[in-house]
Order: sequence, then structure tokens, then C-alpha cells
Amino acid sequence: MRTIALRELASPGRGWTTAPAATVDVDAPERDPRPARLPARDIALCLTAIALLLRPMGPWFVRPAILAVAVLMILSPAMLRSAWAWSAIAAMVAVRIADDWPLADNHVYLLGYWAFAIALSLRTPGSEAALAFSSRWLIGLAFVFAVLWKVMLSPDFLDGRFFRVTLLTDPRFGDAAQLIGGLSSEQLAANRNALQLLPAGAELLEPPSIDEPTRLRLLATVATWGIVVLESAVALAMLLPASIVGSSFRHVALLLFCGTTYLFAPVAGFGWLLLAMGVGQLDETHVGLRRAYVAAFLIVIFYGEIPWAELALGTGRG
Amino acid sequence: MARVRAMKMLAPALLIVVASTQIALSRTLDLTPWKGGGFGMFSTLDHAGYRGVDIVVDAPDRSEALQVPASIELAVARAAACPADWTLRAVAEAVVARERRYQRPVSRVTLTFWRADFDRATLRPSERPARSFVYDVP
Repeated sequence: MRTIALRELASPGRGWTTAPAATVDVDAPERDPRPARLPARDIALCLTAIALLLRPMGPWFVRPAILAVAVLMILSPAMLRSAWAWSAIAAMVAVRIADDWPLADNHVYLLGYWAFAIALSLRTPGSEAALAFSSRWLIGLAFVFAVLWKVMLSPDFLDGRFFRVTLLTDPRFGDAAQLIGGLSSEQLAANRNALQLLPAGAELLEPPSIDEPTRLRLLATVATWGIVVLESAVALAMLLPASIVGSSFRHVALLLFCGTTYLFAPVAGFGWLLLAMGVGQLDETHVGLRRAYVAAFLIVIFYGEIPWAELALGTGRG
Repeated sequence: MARVRAMKMLAPALLIVVASTQIALSRTLDLTPWKGGGFGMFSTLDHAGYRGVDIVVDAPDRSEALQVPASIELAVARAAACPADWTLRAVAEAVVARERRYQRPVSRVTLTFWRADFDRATLRPSERPARSFVYDVP
């Protein structure tokens, strides 16, 4: 049997297999037949491209180009690892934000920063470490600002008003308000009617009261404080050094946030992006976490596509 | 080495700049916390569902409140999200252009930006005018 060393099985950026220096036994019958595992960075980039395809965005003059580049990224490893392609995505996202400013959602901004960070990392020696650094800081800072708004800047979050009103009025939360909050459909309709806006200065002689069962108030309280605790945990986990929080705590916090929040929050695109960014912090030793992130990405798809609360309500009513 | 470090910090630095600017704009121009890249979504009821712009068109022998027509919905959404002079002026100009298309007289457009407040105890909502903008047709 003859052993030879392989420097590169394939040129980086040209094929899916990018094994580092390796040795193989020529003609060895016991050779491991499994294909080489994709680098975590490539999975992060691929999930980002898939997220771009799952939620097409932008006006007609950028949407088809974003979709086309994303398709090419999935088909071609060279495109996936092209700094130019990611720069183009970042630029098109910036155009999309500017086109109807200020109406773009926040995860579109985060996507732009992430695409920009990928493009920069692909031009940097040690691109995996650079990408992991950017991922950690982008997620951490986004969550710091999210917590800042909820805890210090908004007048109606910590006192519970935001979730009390949103659970009653936002149709996207109506099923959860009934299923978990214990509202009947008649109570929900009456509450929505009572919460309708009147023109400035107008006042009803006998304004209808709002019926909030104890379970609904409890749900609003748990949602209010639960989201603050979860977002604070993610922010701290991402921004504190790994020597203090441990790198696995970062991933547990992020996966827990995505696994719970996107069950209710109707913004799957944000969830996919966070999960793709989370994979960007992994290395080759994190096999279990890599699977957990991909599973969470799929679960968020199911959360968004299956009206689970409506189905559960229907089952409950027989 | 310093160049590599600077490249790694560029995207996070951009996030900090945009998010800080968004907070400043929300305090100075009433930009809704939900928009503008400051990550204030799901933190307050001060969002598009509870903000709006009322439109009144005046002309000799005419004073009429307009429902927001589909053709200017986007401009109104932008003005409601950030009721700055330039977004409100864009709405007023779009209203004037539309009225002229239908050959209706218009000499002044008055826009009132409002938002809703919810009582802390009863949750009862009330609409509160927050800013008026008058556009005299040149």
C-alpha cells in the first residue's frame, strides 16, 4: 500500500470539496466512502442564499438580480465564495432600503450588514475567523439595540401595554391569544371592536370595556419579560468574551431565542438570517451544533408555513 | 493586522451608526421605532397600524377631507413612518398632482399627522394629532 499526500483535492473556490492537507492510501479498500463535510462557513453562506430565495425582496430593479445571484450561489461554490457576489448582494440590499426609506424592516438592514461582512471576510486572510467575529458582533449589537428600545426608550413595553394590545388587535397573534390566552372568538371580536380608534376628540357615551381573562394577562406578562430576558441573554452571550460565557452558551441562547420567538413572531426571514449567522460562528468540531442550526432553520420554515395555532384551535373545538 | 481588524469591525460599526441615527431620528423627527434600522420592532405600539396622515384639500368653494387614494399610499406610508417636512411635502405634491389630473381645483393641502395613545389601565385608545403641515399650491 502506498500513501501519498494531497495538498488540495480541489482548488478552493472552484468545487465543494476543499480538504486541507490530507493523506490517503492509494488502493486502500477501507477508505472512508463518505463525502467530505462542507465547511461551516459554506453552510452559513448557503443558508443565507436560501433565505434570500425564500423571501424575495425589493423593487423590480433589484429583486430579480438578488434572486439570480442567490440561485447561482447555491449552484456554484465559486459564486458562493465570491466576495464580488456578496458585495453585489450588499449593494442591492442597500438600494432596496434606500428605495422606500424608512419602510424596510430591520432584518433587511441586518441582511445588508451580514452580506457586507461576508464580502469583507472573503477578502481577509483567515476568513472563517473574520466571519465568526462579524457574526457575533452583528447579532450582539442588534440585540443590544432591541433590548434598549424595549427597556429604556419605549414608554409602553415594560408596562405590558404592547403585548396586551397586540395580542388583541394583531390578526397574526389572534390564534395564540385564543389558544394560550383563553379568549373565545366572540371575546376577541368584541375586544377588537372596543379597541378601534375614534377620530381625534371623539368620545363614546358608553365606551365598551375590554375583556382580558387572567390567562391572557399572564400571557402578555410572560411575553413581555420573556422576550427581554431572551434578547438580553443573546446580547450578553454574543458580546462577552467566550472565557466568561462559554461559546456553547452563545449558540444555546440563539437557538432558544429562534425556537421560541418565531413560533409566534411572523418574521421568519429574521429567524433564518440569525440562524445562518449563528452557523457562521461554528468550526469543524461543532458537528452537533451545525445539525441543530440546520434543523432550527427548517423548523422556522414549518413555523411560518403551518398555521399550528389555528389547527390546534380547530382540534380543540372538535 | 490592523487592516484585518478594521475590516472585521466595518459591518458592526455601520450597524452602530445606523441604529444610533435611527434613535436620534425617532426623537427629533418622530420616526417610528419599528423602522429605520434601529431594531425597535415589537417594542412599542407606535407603528404603522396606529399612525396616519389625514388630508384636507382646500380651494375657492371647496374644503374636502380625502381618503388616501391607492396611488399615493406609499407616500403616505412613508410620511406616517417619518413625518418630516420632505415626506409630508411629497404627499402634498402627490395630492395636488392627482387633483389636477381629475381637473379639480386645489389651492392648499393641509396634512395632519396623528398617532394613537393607549390608556395604561383601560387600554382605551385615543387619536392624538401630533403635527400639521400646510402646503400652499404655488
